[in-house]
Amino acid sequence: MSQEQRHSDGGFGNLTTSSGVIGRSPRELAWRRFRANKTGLVTLVIALFLILSTIFAPLLRSLFGLDPRARYNELMDSRGFPTGGFNGISWAHPLGLEPGIGHDLLARLLFGARTSFFVALIVTVSSVSIGVIMGILMGYFRGAVDSTLGRFIDFLLAFPAFFMIVALSLPVVQRLEATGLVEGNSARMTYLVIILIFFGWPYLARIMRSQVLSIRERDYILAARALGASQRRIIFKEIVPNLWTVVIVYLSLSLPGYLTAEAVFSFLGLGVQPPDATWGLLISDSIKYVISNPTYFLIPSTALILVVLTFNLLGDAVRDALDPRSEVS
Amino acid sequence: MFKKTAGTSRTGRRVFSAVASLSLLTGVLVGCSSSSGGAGGTLTFLTNAESWTHADPNRNYTGQHIAWFGSFMHRTLTAYARAEGAAGSEVVPDLATDTGRASNGNKTWEFTLRDGAKFEDGSEITCADVKYGVSRTFATDVITDGPTYAISMLDIPKDAEGASVYKGPYKADGNDTAAYDKAVTCSEDNKTITFNLSRPVGDFNYTVTYLSFSPVPQAKDNGDQYDLAPVSSGPYKIEKYKAKDEMVLVRNENWSKDSDPIRNAYPDKIVVRFGVAEEVRDQLILNDSEPAAFSLDAILPTNLATVFNEDGTPKEEWKSRALNVYDPYVTYAAVNVGKVPCVQVRKAIYYARDFAALQQLGGGAAFGGDPADGVIKPLMGLDYKPVTGLEDFKPEGNAEKAQALMAEAKSACPDVYAKATGAGLTFDVADSDTNKKSATIWIDSVKKNAGINLKFNFIEPGQYYAVVLDPTKQGDLSRAGWAPDWANASTVIPELFLEGAGFPLSNVGKDPAYAEFKSRVEANLSQSDRAAQGAEWAALNQYVMDQMWVIPGVFSKTQEMWGSKLEGIFFWEPQGAPSFGDIKVKS
Repeated sequence: MSQEQRHSDGGFGNLTTSSGVIGRSPRELAWRRFRANKTGLVTLVIALFLILSTIFAPLLRSLFGLDPRARYNELMDSRGFPTGGFNGISWAHPLGLEPGIGHDLLARLLFGARTSFFVALIVTVSSVSIGVIMGILMGYFRGAVDSTLGRFIDFLLAFPAFFMIVALSLPVVQRLEATGLVEGNSARMTYLVIILIFFGWPYLARIMRSQVLSIRERDYILAARALGASQRRIIFKEIVPNLWTVVIVYLSLSLPGYLTAEAVFSFLGLGVQPPDATWGLLISDSIKYVISNPTYFLIPSTALILVVLTFNLLGDAVRDALDPRSEVS
Repeated sequence: MFKKTAGTSRTGRRVFSAVASLSLLTGVLVGCSSSSGGAGGTLTFLTNAESWTHADPNRNYTGQHIAWFGSFMHRTLTAYARAEGAAGSEVVPDLATDTGRASNGNKTWEFTLRDGAKFEDGSEITCADVKYGVSRTFATDVITDGPTYAISMLDIPKDAEGASVYKGPYKADGNDTAAYDKAVTCSEDNKTITFNLSRPVGDFNYTVTYLSFSPVPQAKDNGDQYDLAPVSSGPYKIEKYKAKDEMVLVRNENWSKDSDPIRNAYPDKIVVRFGVAEEVRDQLILNDSEPAAFSLDAILPTNLATVFNEDGTPKEEWKSRALNVYDPYVTYAAVNVGKVPCVQVRKAIYYARDFAALQQLGGGAAFGGDPADGVIKPLMGLDYKPVTGLEDFKPEGNAEKAQALMAEAKSACPDVYAKATGAGLTFDVADSDTNKKSATIWIDSVKKNAGINLKFNFIEPGQYYAVVLDPTKQGDLSRAGWAPDWANASTVIPELFLEGAGFPLSNVGKDPAYAEFKSRVEANLSQSDRAAQGAEWAALNQYVMDQMWVIPGVFSKTQEMWGSKLEGIFFWEPQGAPSFGDIKVKS
């Protein structure tokens, strides 16, 4: 493979062709490593498919009539159980129906994923951004900044975050609604996003801090400082580029974490409420059917497992690809 | 009275004449087979609730609680016969020696107490104890949630605001105790109690079946704390009662069968386990892991298919362990008429709603019940007549009719029309998974068929009735359920619609149609010809529906199931609950 590669770009005047060594940017190297990882490629395709289909869910609605609010009551018996067994799976309803109310399960999953992904994405991006900034501040300036922020992080990490989220839900959501800016589900989502970010950033901040602490002692930083580079330049040009690898890996691993968190809190009734759907709600509802209609129980649970697995494997693949010590096959 | 909300444990109210009810009972009543004896053993009850709503006899007002506490702990002057079917609606003497003696044109009622009836501490139950118990129900700030029949029926003057001048035994200042002493009197030997009523009540002996007429020893009364440790007058007494944990009843040694002809007291011990997760509770019974357990809550809809056939009859192997019957309730959405003063909009909601989908969500006709056409159930016999004028009702919603009504509303009541189609109407329901799903159906179908926007207010189930009964907090519509307190719609129509009555969720006082309604109801309450009274109740039910003061839901059904070691269970119609006191534990 690398042999062919060498020939193909041969005519482009590669500087090192004569010595047999090809110069490649780290990015190129990482991409090559990633491409060689079959699991990584497969999960990337699945992840892209999932993300695109949730982004374009409204388009799918008009194309295939996938409406999360449409009810198909005629396809259920008088007790609200989908007829035809296996949760009423058919061509028209590939995953069957939501028993009792008769929504199309595929449409519910798809539109539910929008909410779940939306929450997970905002929380991940925000908490990572805050984490990076705080980590650099702590690692670079050390001293009073480090100890103040450090103690605050210790405090956050020692906090029983889960119980806090559950306990504060009702009063905070009511306050949010009282402001008149958000209402109902938007208020609950806003609360969830804010509180997950609040408890989410310290982990990355700590990792960043230790990274920055070690980087700032390197010779090239010393050299830059000796040459009179400003702090700003040192931070943005010399330190930050070396943090990206860790950030990307952390990003790809925390996304599925927040997807699960959103599902857990919806499951507990703190997240989005019907008529909107999220995966947590679907799973919580389907648990009641575990014996009478196991298909309905298995579908949303399996979907959640698959998505989390996909993003975790993707995260692993990205980490492997970005690690300069890993082997290129 | 009261209330049933899907998703919370069942609460119940009293019932109706059993005329024609047998043909409607689809469930199977388990024969108390000929097994002899049956005494002993431990009977276990499972419930998702964290505690009893009330254990204080004067505060119990749900059919299930009255049936349970009435069977095991609290006695009253009279009680319903412990029998299946129509025979259960007969009133028999309990603490009293007969079912009461009326005089003075049904305005004076006299009951004589039995000899040998004792409290758990061994003291004799006297007229003073009954009188004291009834007096507590006047303290509506302390003894909350109980029936208020004593207040509305006893001959005690009312003040300018319509409240009784007697405020119960806990207040001294400005409290007209003399008026109460005049209305309720005890004989010299402290054995005979006399009630003087403000109007003729021909069925007052039904009224006193309520535990609000139970005796309470004054020395043991500690106000609202009495709820935690009430003194027993029945065959069992409390050994332990802890919310979120359990209640244990053991035999009351001072109770004797000689003084109590109606209670059986088969098990040696009774345990109620609170806070059992719903799915766990059902599985314990479904798998028969607790063969001597009885579920106090409704079966989860998802488990109905395990126990019952699609037509609602129990499956072969469940014939002796489950029943599916019409309970005494009618469910409805009360329209807050003060906030929605527009009959066209109210009717548009009724026609627009997708009833078929709501019914399917509730388990279908076989389990949830049939569409109601008013607030009086057909089981009431004399008081029921099919309501006319609702012929355009279509189960899946009638968009054409709803839109025509909205077009009328646009000119007839533009304010309400603008609110309904703009900001929307608020709908109060108890917070539960099922109610959230039904909210989706309401929102979508009412929007689609009538262009009306609905917003739901999900209220914590334990707080639900406290919130919606507070006019400052109530929304535009409130979900509720009601059952007659006994076999007379005088416990339905006035209780639901008269201002200041027990359950006035519709707030109809300002409706132009109210004045005529009020005078007809008041005239009918004093009507002595029962047949004429029944016909007038049916006509008033029609009147209510013409105004669409409530949007009727279903004539509901209920399902019960229990473990294989229990027998003797039947549906006690007047209480709308199983016959707890007749349950035997097989050895």
